[in-house]
Amino acid sequence: MNQEKALLFNIQKFSIHDGPGIRTTVFFKGCPLRCHWCSNPESQIGKIQVAWNSLKCISCQKCVKGCPEGAISEAKGSIVIDGERCKGWQECLKECPTDSFQIEGEYKTVDKIVSEVLKDIAFYEESGGGVTLTGGEVLQQADVAIEILKELKKHNIHRAVETTGYAAPKVFEKFLEHIDLLLFDLKHYDPVKHKEGTGVDNMIILENMKAAVKKGKKIVARIPVIPNFNDSLQDAEGFSKCLNEIGIKNVDLLPFHQFGQKKYDLLCMEYKMKDVKQLHPEDLMDYQEVFIRNGLNCKF
Amino acid sequence: MSEYFGLLTKRMNQFREEVLTAKPKVCAERAVYTTESYKEHFDKPIVLRRAYMLENILKKMSIFIEEDTLIVGNQATENRSAPIFPEYAMDWVVKELDEFEKRNGDIFYITEDTKQQLRDIAPFWEHNTTKERGLAAIPPASKVFYDLGIIKAEGNITSGDAHIAVDYGKVMKDGLKDYKKRTLAVMDSLDLTDFKNLKKLYFYQSIIIVIDAVTAFAKRYSDLATSMAEKEKNPVRAVELREIASILTKVPYEPADSFYEAIQSMWLVQLVLQIESNGHSLSYGRMDQFLYPYYKKDIDAGVITEESAVELLTNLWIKTMTINKIRSWAHTQFSAGSPLYQNVTIGGQTVDKKNAVNPLSYLILRSVAQTKLPQPNLTVRYHAGLDDRFMKECVEVIKEGFGMPAFNSDEIIIPSFIEKGIKEEDAYNYSAIGCVEVAVPGKWGYRCTGMSFLNFPKSLLITMNDGVDPKSGVKIAEGVGHFKDMENFEDLQKAWDVLIRDFTRHSVIIENACDMVLEADVPDVLCSALSEDCIGRGKTLKEGGAIYDFISGLQVGIANLADSLAAIKKCVYEEKRISRDELWNALINNFEGQDGERIQNMLLAAPKYGNDDDYVDLLVTEAYNSYIDEVVKYPNTRFGRGPVGGTRYAGTSSISANVGQGLGTMATPDGRKAFTPLAEGCSPTHAMDKNGPTSVFKTVSKLPTKDITGGVLLNQKVTPQVLENDDAKMKLIAMLRTFFNKLKGFHVQYNVVSRDTLIDAQNHPEKHRDLIVRVAGYSAFFNVLSKTTQDDIIKRTEHVL
Repeated sequence: MNQEKALLFNIQKFSIHDGPGIRTTVFFKGCPLRCHWCSNPESQIGKIQVAWNSLKCISCQKCVKGCPEGAISEAKGSIVIDGERCKGWQECLKECPTDSFQIEGEYKTVDKIVSEVLKDIAFYEESGGGVTLTGGEVLQQADVAIEILKELKKHNIHRAVETTGYAAPKVFEKFLEHIDLLLFDLKHYDPVKHKEGTGVDNMIILENMKAAVKKGKKIVARIPVIPNFNDSLQDAEGFSKCLNEIGIKNVDLLPFHQFGQKKYDLLCMEYKMKDVKQLHPEDLMDYQEVFIRNGLNCKF
Repeated sequence: MSEYFGLLTKRMNQFREEVLTAKPKVCAERAVYTTESYKEHFDKPIVLRRAYMLENILKKMSIFIEEDTLIVGNQATENRSAPIFPEYAMDWVVKELDEFEKRNGDIFYITEDTKQQLRDIAPFWEHNTTKERGLAAIPPASKVFYDLGIIKAEGNITSGDAHIAVDYGKVMKDGLKDYKKRTLAVMDSLDLTDFKNLKKLYFYQSIIIVIDAVTAFAKRYSDLATSMAEKEKNPVRAVELREIASILTKVPYEPADSFYEAIQSMWLVQLVLQIESNGHSLSYGRMDQFLYPYYKKDIDAGVITEESAVELLTNLWIKTMTINKIRSWAHTQFSAGSPLYQNVTIGGQTVDKKNAVNPLSYLILRSVAQTKLPQPNLTVRYHAGLDDRFMKECVEVIKEGFGMPAFNSDEIIIPSFIEKGIKEEDAYNYSAIGCVEVAVPGKWGYRCTGMSFLNFPKSLLITMNDGVDPKSGVKIAEGVGHFKDMENFEDLQKAWDVLIRDFTRHSVIIENACDMVLEADVPDVLCSALSEDCIGRGKTLKEGGAIYDFISGLQVGIANLADSLAAIKKCVYEEKRISRDELWNALINNFEGQDGERIQNMLLAAPKYGNDDDYVDLLVTEAYNSYIDEVVKYPNTRFGRGPVGGTRYAGTSSISANVGQGLGTMATPDGRKAFTPLAEGCSPTHAMDKNGPTSVFKTVSKLPTKDITGGVLLNQKVTPQVLENDDAKMKLIAMLRTFFNKLKGFHVQYNVVSRDTLIDAQNHPEKHRDLIVRVAGYSAFFNVLSKTTQDDIIKRTEHVL
């Protein structure tokens, strides 16, 4: 029995883009990065949050009065939730007559998470799939994540982790022992640009990457290709050089998309990428070519 | 049209266009010739009367040979026109004569002349149809279930049976002459002093009449082709017409010697069976198996090429599409899109348990993908040994987005057949019939599924209401108390067990009453002759002529029952957030009023079927088991009269009955509003499966599949983009393999089409004339479906693969 809890914002079955075979992806809530293009804004804050649907709201203001933390305020006939102040009392849910609020995030025990992902074990076995832990940033909840990974090992399930790698090297290295595949995000090769786009620099990330290579882990680097941030051919050269130096051979490109746009409104968060055009593989053929020319195995 | 599978030949493309653009009309010829013959032979035993009827029709009906066809045989005066079968039911025909053109789906055009012809014959059929006799035969206590729409059996008494496949392999190999020879031999040896043999004599005489009639019918086409050849200016076409003429003097009476002859032989019989009776789901069986020797021989000899074989196959599919059926408006809602469900099955295993896929299996896939029509209904028999190459080819057809092929799995069907007493070699030779259901071609009686429809959610409401139908206020069963007085959830479960068993018995009574009428009134002579061992036993199918005879009805609203039970358990008994009175009143008021919506939202938030949640999944398994346990107790009307079996099992191939039955069902405790569609087959309720396809598979696999041999229908929809790359395709295949190999699933089919396309098609039907969707176990043109059915499809969850 393991009653330790992890804060998740989703468990997604039949994931086919996060590692080999058919997988279940476990999304951990809370992330040290603040990427402008983040398509899961609900993944960022490491606590339970409320989201608010303006279409359902009748502006009765009951939630404003009802919030014990004063996290909800009125602005121009609409309301604004201060995510940082919200403590997750859920009073707004009870006050709201039109069900305009919903909860983002749930604490789940290791047992519950493991039993949920084991439900699809037949599919993992048949397809060569398994479980992928992702976020947010799973390393922020490394201890409980390791508990989950140990349980999965007992059932012989393939374990992948997708991470920004932004964690203390000690934490990271300990974590490495429990995984079969590392999907390592790299947002930018340049420390200054990295900080611009994500709020943190990439020093520690690159160090952890090297450590993982040294350990002989199977690694796929994943690059979100973001317009006007890292989508020039020069950037492709920069990434290729960086990865070759570290010794990573496999790269997945993730073209920028707008699936997350609506979520920003629900969470009363500012979205800097509004109306930026989505990218598709066919827009990035030359970009991909640069990686391939540099000897990397690069796919979408 | 497909890039992967190539284009139709020019003439097949023209022929397809012609059939697609043909206006569906009502044709009176068959009705007129049937009436004429019935009058003339009114003194004869019924089986002979039926034989003379078929003879008269085949002799007099209009025939034609289309400009672009290589295969001949037409069902009505024009392609896509629907004949009338007055012996089954005539009242709705006359009543709806002026309404056919005004329907909001499945429209049929009719001329004033045709209307008059039908009005003229109508008096003869008053109190003289299977519908009227059927209704008169159902005892009052059961008839109330029929009248209130709790048990639907309209299709059983207003049209023929079918849901059967004859053994086409035998027909083409031996020719009808062999059947005639066998019939004559047994007929000669009959001792007529035994009165039972008199009945056999009439049957045998009938078989001779119909075989000769079919042969003469073929000769009519031969003569027509000859005379057309004489007038034909195009020398190439003239040669073709002469070949047609020569083939039709030979088959189906004589054995076929070539691939071409074999197909023509099969088509003519397939056609005549659909003139003899308008029962639908008349299926071809395992076509890649029985046609393969002819294909192999001709391709080896250089008589045909792959291309010419594919052209013939596409020709056959277009011909298959020319068949049409008109149903009453009430019945149409249960069978939207006027489907005929003529099934072709490929793949699977041979009787010696080897992978049965052969080059012809691939060509059938290719030809079906090229024609891209809702007929035939293509089924692939899955088994663990089916290789990835073939699976990928199937996925390529799925990508075409017309809902084919469907998969049925050997891994569950064969063992459950063997368990029921089917010989191993026959079990390995099963084929799909219609859509989901399965039987052994040429050895199985009618309706392995397709008996009555039992509305589960409505049954639950009546259970909750102490045996009174809340919609009509009629007391139809002895209840065990009202829901308002049930202190525990177990009380409701017990009440369900009592009432559903009672309803099951009524469904059996209704079905048996209908079957007795059909046996007495409308024996199908040709269909019986081609099914083993009718000739040997001297019995028609309905008298017990088949080697195997298991039937099943259709239980509708599985997911609604599941979700209703779970919502009641959770919201009323466990969390006590809704009182029993509140729930009942909300249902009666259709969740209207302020409180109603709040209650509806709570019910909708309860655990839902389709998410791999034992809480709800196990509730429905238990509730369904009461039905299954009860229905197996009751033999059908052939029990002890010859066939192995003679019994019943469960089935869920609800076709579009979920829409029709929803129309008659008040609000249900799953949060469903009154009169909206129920969930189809064993698929989850619309948009309630939130955990993706693997969870749906898990949920469905918890049903007692090996006892639902009538079919466990699961429809999944995917967007086309998900199948774009090889990697994703292999994952889809791995998912199918898991469902069948490990979870022992029965059936699945994929609807690959985008939601936007469907909405656009609804608004601009003219732009999407050939858009086909799966309505349930079959495909139909989207723009002939009623708006409710269209909405129903649009609402289905799209799994993002």
